[in-house]
Amino acid sequence: MLLFLFVVSNLFAGGYQVRLQGQKQTGIGLIGTPFALGGSSIFYNPGALSFMKENYSFSAGVSGIMATAVFRQKDSDYKAKTDNSLSTPFYFYGAVKVIDDLSVGVGVFTPFGSSTTWDSDWNGRKSIQDISLSAIFIQPTVSYKIGDKFGIGAGLDIVIGSVDLTKELPTPVDGQMNLDGSSTALGFNVGAYFKPNDELSIGIDYRSKVNMKVDDGDFKTTDVPSSVTFIPETGNFSAELPLPANLDFGIAYQVSEKFLLAAELNIIFWSVYDSLIIDFKQNNEDFADSRNPREYSNSFIPRLGAEYKISDTFIARAGIYYDKTPTNEDYFSPETVSLDQIAFTLGLSIMPVEGLSIDLSYLQLEGLESDKKYTPDNFEGTYKTRAFIPGLGISYNF
Amino acid sequence: MKYKYILYISLLGLLFACEPELDDFEPSQGNADFSVYVALGNSLTAGYADGSLYRSSQLNSFPSILAEQFKKAGGGDFVQPLMDGEYGIMPGKLKLDYKTDCTDETSVGPVPDNGTLDAIAPLGYTVNNLGVPGAKSFHLLAQGYGDFAGIQLGTANPYYARFASSSISTVVGDAITQQPTFYTLWVGNNDVLGYAAGGGTGDTITGEATFTFMMNTIVQSLNATGAKGVIAGLPDMLKSPYFAFMDTQVPFNGLVLTRQGQVDSLNFAYAQLGITFDLGQNPFIVEDAVTHFPRQMKESDIFLLTLPTDSLKCYYMGSAIPIPHKYILDETEANNVNTFIGIYNNVIQGLAAQYDLAYIDMFDMMSDLENGITNDGITITDEFVTGNAFSLDGIHLTPIGYAHVANMFIEGINNKYNSNLPKVSFAQYPSVILP
Repeated sequence: MLLFLFVVSNLFAGGYQVRLQGQKQTGIGLIGTPFALGGSSIFYNPGALSFMKENYSFSAGVSGIMATAVFRQKDSDYKAKTDNSLSTPFYFYGAVKVIDDLSVGVGVFTPFGSSTTWDSDWNGRKSIQDISLSAIFIQPTVSYKIGDKFGIGAGLDIVIGSVDLTKELPTPVDGQMNLDGSSTALGFNVGAYFKPNDELSIGIDYRSKVNMKVDDGDFKTTDVPSSVTFIPETGNFSAELPLPANLDFGIAYQVSEKFLLAAELNIIFWSVYDSLIIDFKQNNEDFADSRNPREYSNSFIPRLGAEYKISDTFIARAGIYYDKTPTNEDYFSPETVSLDQIAFTLGLSIMPVEGLSIDLSYLQLEGLESDKKYTPDNFEGTYKTRAFIPGLGISYNF
Repeated sequence: MKYKYILYISLLGLLFACEPELDDFEPSQGNADFSVYVALGNSLTAGYADGSLYRSSQLNSFPSILAEQFKKAGGGDFVQPLMDGEYGIMPGKLKLDYKTDCTDETSVGPVPDNGTLDAIAPLGYTVNNLGVPGAKSFHLLAQGYGDFAGIQLGTANPYYARFASSSISTVVGDAITQQPTFYTLWVGNNDVLGYAAGGGTGDTITGEATFTFMMNTIVQSLNATGAKGVIAGLPDMLKSPYFAFMDTQVPFNGLVLTRQGQVDSLNFAYAQLGITFDLGQNPFIVEDAVTHFPRQMKESDIFLLTLPTDSLKCYYMGSAIPIPHKYILDETEANNVNTFIGIYNNVIQGLAAQYDLAYIDMFDMMSDLENGITNDGITITDEFVTGNAFSLDGIHLTPIGYAHVANMFIEGINNKYNSNLPKVSFAQYPSVILP
């Protein structure tokens, strides 16, 4: 499929979650639960999928993430900056109305990922040099409409994930360690959608935790002195990275014929990310498993958005949200520079012909300057991040 | 219409499309003036490491690291008496490599690192780093300590002779003529180390009165120039690998007898001294410090890093041949060492208070190293080789170790003089090089 030509890797957006699964939703502050926008409901709220108006709905899109993190070490004039490559999360949805009250569909999307590249000789290299996490979700979904006002839906997520990271070996040895592994896991997505009248719509959605377990990843070490025989050159490892559950509540209100307001609250159950344990299969006294505390906390993201219908051809959108970091005070690792973030979004849909919509979005994330510390490494300093994310999507309903 | 909105979005993007920025660290000199900095002291100030003073070790000396940070807050050039090569002016440099012992067992350890030495010749220029390996407190005031003619006689020091301004100059005098605005003084280690490193043989500890007088004179002279400064105390020396490592490798009762014949002949040989042996583990036989007679080793005796382990394993040292006392520090000697470290540190701390100098407490650095000091994910400890704090001679430091010392000075200076000097990162300094 063409979509797989895109580089699959993403960024931090509160931990390593990225919610760019529909350009219309991205434009309105990444609010999606209270909307029935056809195929993209597969991700945002399967309960709303059965409210699709046409018989067929297809949409696809991609975003380009340009993110930079900067760092200044505590009590020092040392500064560093990430040199991340462009990340391109994407989505594809296809849905069919089987009978009036029943719709089915499938979605392919990338709601989690992280890509961070520091200089290989930077001061935090014992923590991380570069990392790329990605997860592709494939979600067959069914949605059922109960009466005119209520819809429920559920999907099964088949998740294919991969991780690739490089960092320096722990002291006293210099040299690098590269870990490369992949994993397949299952999850689910259930949602309910309620539209009591023409003006109001309400949605609730729960996406389950997905436990990405790498069982047989490859590690290799380089530049290790030959006298250091206790570190193998190659070997295998296992590790677990949980993708946290999300609970979303959203409400949208059509204030006037042209003007719509929406609000959403996401609860992200980050507390499942307690530590990153890399279990080396070839172990010895001097080459122990790597245990890295993370101790994330659950976080809340409040979102506000608005939509204005300029004409039959143009709809403009805007939104803001605040994403509080789930990271722990003592265990802030530069592998995922997740700060408290304020974001604003803009969106524009162009509908040149009936059923076709070209959707543009722009998201800017401002990671607020903050002093952070990774206590086990005594690595402390001030971080700040910024990301620019333009997106392009297309949807066709008929 | 359509273009207008695309333009609108693009413009907003451009407005904010710059990278995030953080304010720079703002260095300041506070009440100090770093424009002319001189460093006085011994091998630790010179940058000695791995049993030698060589070019790259000098480049990583703590005063050199410090001077780089001073430059960010008004500091001037810092000239060191740099060697041309990596082997110094005297043989003895060590490197880590594979070595095979007398039992054909191969391991990695310090071995001689031989190469072309630098000639001992006058440099002909003034240096800011006046650290002289081997110098004791009183040497800094000794006329002729840099006299070439005195090197053979043992009255002069070849390291000082390289940069001494004349045959009768003194280290302190050479510092003062530069009209320093700031100085570091870390001396006194050799006043007790010479005694300790030789197992109490071959050298004596500088007496309290002499040490007090010499230190007073040095500080008074430097202070008279109006320079501000910092003075450092002595570390808890016996915790360094030179004194602590061998004890972890060779137990005091490591003489293992497996045959009755061995037991009988040793019993016969030492019968007059009343020493008896049994099958299994026995204390080694050592030379007593006072009587010079053989005696059994005590648990409180400390093996030094210089202990010739091959002689113990294969050539009857410690049994038929007593271990010479220069390889052992006994309890009395260790107590002497610790007593004088305490006395010296009182003197140094007293001077810091009297002359209003920053004082760096080096004594506790050793217990910090025992627990491990971590910076940027790099942990240094008091372990030999793997600890990465001590170089291969077990007394002097690695570049990371010197970086830590520099950070201790920076902290002390910032606190005392209200300056804001940036610290350095362990991650920027090399560690022990493994083969």
